[in-house]
Amino acid sequence: MRRLAHLPLRWSNAPVAVVAMVALLLLAGIGIILQSEAAYRDLQAQETRVQADILSASVTAALDFSDRQAVQEAVDVIRVNRQVRTIGVYDQSGALMAGYGRRGAGPAPRFVDPLPPAGNAVTATVPVTSGGERIGTVYVAADPEPLTRRINRYIVIGLLVLMAALVVAVLGAAQNALRRANRELEERAEALVGANAELKVQVSERTKAEDQLRQAHKMQALGQLTGGIAHDFNNLLTVIQGSADMLRRRALDEDKRVRFAEAIVQASSRAAALTGQLLAFARRQPLQPEVIDINHLIRDMTDLLDRTLGERIEVRTILSTDACTVEADRAQLESAVLNIAVNARDAMPDGGLLTIRTAGFDEAQTGRMVALAVSDSGVGMDEDTLGRAFEPFFTTKATGKGTGLGLSQVYGFASQSGGDVQIDSRAGEGTTVTLLLPCSGGVGSGRRAEEALGRIEPRRTGRILLVEDNEEVGEFAENLLGELGHIVTRVRSGEEALAAALDEGFDAVFTDVVMPGMSGLELGDRLAQLRPLLPVILTTGYSDEIARSGAGGRSVILKPYRLETLAAAIDQVLGAPAK
Amino acid sequence: MLALALLLGPGPARAQPSEEAVKAAFLPRFARYVTWPGPFLPGPGAPFQLCVIGRDPFARLLDQAAARELIDGHGVVVRRMPSADGSQGCHLAFVQGAAAPDTASLLAALRRRPVLTITDARAGPHRGVIHFVIADGRVRFFIDDAAAAERGLSISSRLLALAVGVRQRR
Repeated sequence: MRRLAHLPLRWSNAPVAVVAMVALLLLAGIGIILQSEAAYRDLQAQETRVQADILSASVTAALDFSDRQAVQEAVDVIRVNRQVRTIGVYDQSGALMAGYGRRGAGPAPRFVDPLPPAGNAVTATVPVTSGGERIGTVYVAADPEPLTRRINRYIVIGLLVLMAALVVAVLGAAQNALRRANRELEERAEALVGANAELKVQVSERTKAEDQLRQAHKMQALGQLTGGIAHDFNNLLTVIQGSADMLRRRALDEDKRVRFAEAIVQASSRAAALTGQLLAFARRQPLQPEVIDINHLIRDMTDLLDRTLGERIEVRTILSTDACTVEADRAQLESAVLNIAVNARDAMPDGGLLTIRTAGFDEAQTGRMVALAVSDSGVGMDEDTLGRAFEPFFTTKATGKGTGLGLSQVYGFASQSGGDVQIDSRAGEGTTVTLLLPCSGGVGSGRRAEEALGRIEPRRTGRILLVEDNEEVGEFAENLLGELGHIVTRVRSGEEALAAALDEGFDAVFTDVVMPGMSGLELGDRLAQLRPLLPVILTTGYSDEIARSGAGGRSVILKPYRLETLAAAIDQVLGAPAK
Repeated sequence: MLALALLLGPGPARAQPSEEAVKAAFLPRFARYVTWPGPFLPGPGAPFQLCVIGRDPFARLLDQAAARELIDGHGVVVRRMPSADGSQGCHLAFVQGAAAPDTASLLAALRRRPVLTITDARAGPHRGVIHFVIADGRVRFFIDDAAAAERGLSISSRLLALAVGVRQRR
């Protein structure tokens, strides 16, 4: 529409101006020709008059003395000029004295004033005077310049004008074209602006849609996670509940009693491992870093891996001697390796080869690093799967088979330990997951320090102040500590604990961290001022504060804890003598 | 003047004018082509004096011609005298003695005076400054420009161009 609206304007302006210019130029050209013609005729009239004047002067005496011959001679001198058509010299009485006529244009035999015009000729009539008296008349008629010559001259002018007109026309056309191009450019720019605005709207809509999609993904993932956890927990709870029911039976021989108890313990540890993974994913798992020799750790894990992965998968380890020690949470590191291995197993349903490599290398920004690469010969991942591999709750496994937290745990652990994870995979060509961890520089060990805990017998008992707000856990812990031979006083908050600690002489304080009001950490700090010599043991399922700032040098026992763990920790603070 | 000329000139009655009439018409006209030395020019309004010395072959013809003439505001008067005596004030003089030797003596009397002397071949061989002859049946004249120079006269080249012959001044 806009284009149409511009059209009449565009066409009514420039071309009219150009046409007017050209017309003006042509008019000017005609004017110049006419003026030149007039000027030429003036000039010729003047020349003719000069010729007549000369003749008049030269025939004065001849006329005076009626000398026809002399007059004729004077006339003959003038007729040399080819342009002169007619010459007539008349005496005082008007009679022709002498004359000349080219191509039959002879002079009139008698002079009458004025003589009739002679066609297109330029004429001059001049009186002959002698002694102030008119004694005769000279008449000269000259042909104008030949038409062809004049036309030639005018053609030159005409050509010049034509060229000028052409130039103007071309300039006008060019100007017009330029204007049109400009207009088109403007229109395109406008169109571009419009398109841009539309694009912006689309982008914002898309962003909105993406947000909604992400929200939907979250909900879906949450559902999957919940389903997975519920499934696992239900399995474990079935075992625990069933075993506990069996233990209630009176007539139960010792053998079975031990078996059921063991089943409960195992199910509980698996549940603890599960919650541990969840917490690791949430990064709320307090890490207990220690210096670990990676090669050693992998070697120790080989049996476990063989068992976990099954017979159809061959495990091969290529351990480099330049692999350094790292400072990391042992359980988390093992868990990460196990998670990667389990994923590899699931990628090789028909069996295959699992290769674990270690290598040390230098990195510009973080210094020396160690790489732990786990490669499988499985189905690999397509790009979409690869892009979402670290996404929490994302899984390619059937509901109930995986929580979608494996690689998330790996990623969470790696970044919490100051390292990184890389995945190289292509559909059909297997997958390599590489765990990158910074070197520690210390001398590490491969073995679990607490493995021997089960054999430690309590050597000393004392008075323990138990601080726990949860009734069930509190009662359980009280029983547990009592079983270990300690005298237990239970309080339900930090404030109560402070009051109790002032009155009585306790040997140790065992406190939960997360409580309403005063937290376990705060309590520890306060007790450190009131009773600097009173040891404090912290226990928690998870705690932001401990993950953030540490326990301030105090012992921490993670829930759920085993009897042996608790006994060892208490023994340590009570200063149990070494074996 | 013009009207008179037109009256006289045209018409079938216009016979070839007589030789004497032509000469009479020529005589005052010579004044137009001759320049006299300053002191001898006629004063303002004063006429040129055309003297006929000796025999007068023109009679009234000359009087008529002179009366027609008006040269730059000066008329022409004709004076007749038998001899050169009293020729003072003459600008032009037609000189013709009764016989040829008389003409010569008359001319001699006018020698070295600023007078344009005119003679006729019919009267004898002696020549003044201008000397009438008949050539091809027409009245023509010789001009002795050297003699004119001696007399302090200057003759227009236009007139010289009409002469049958010119004796050049040295």
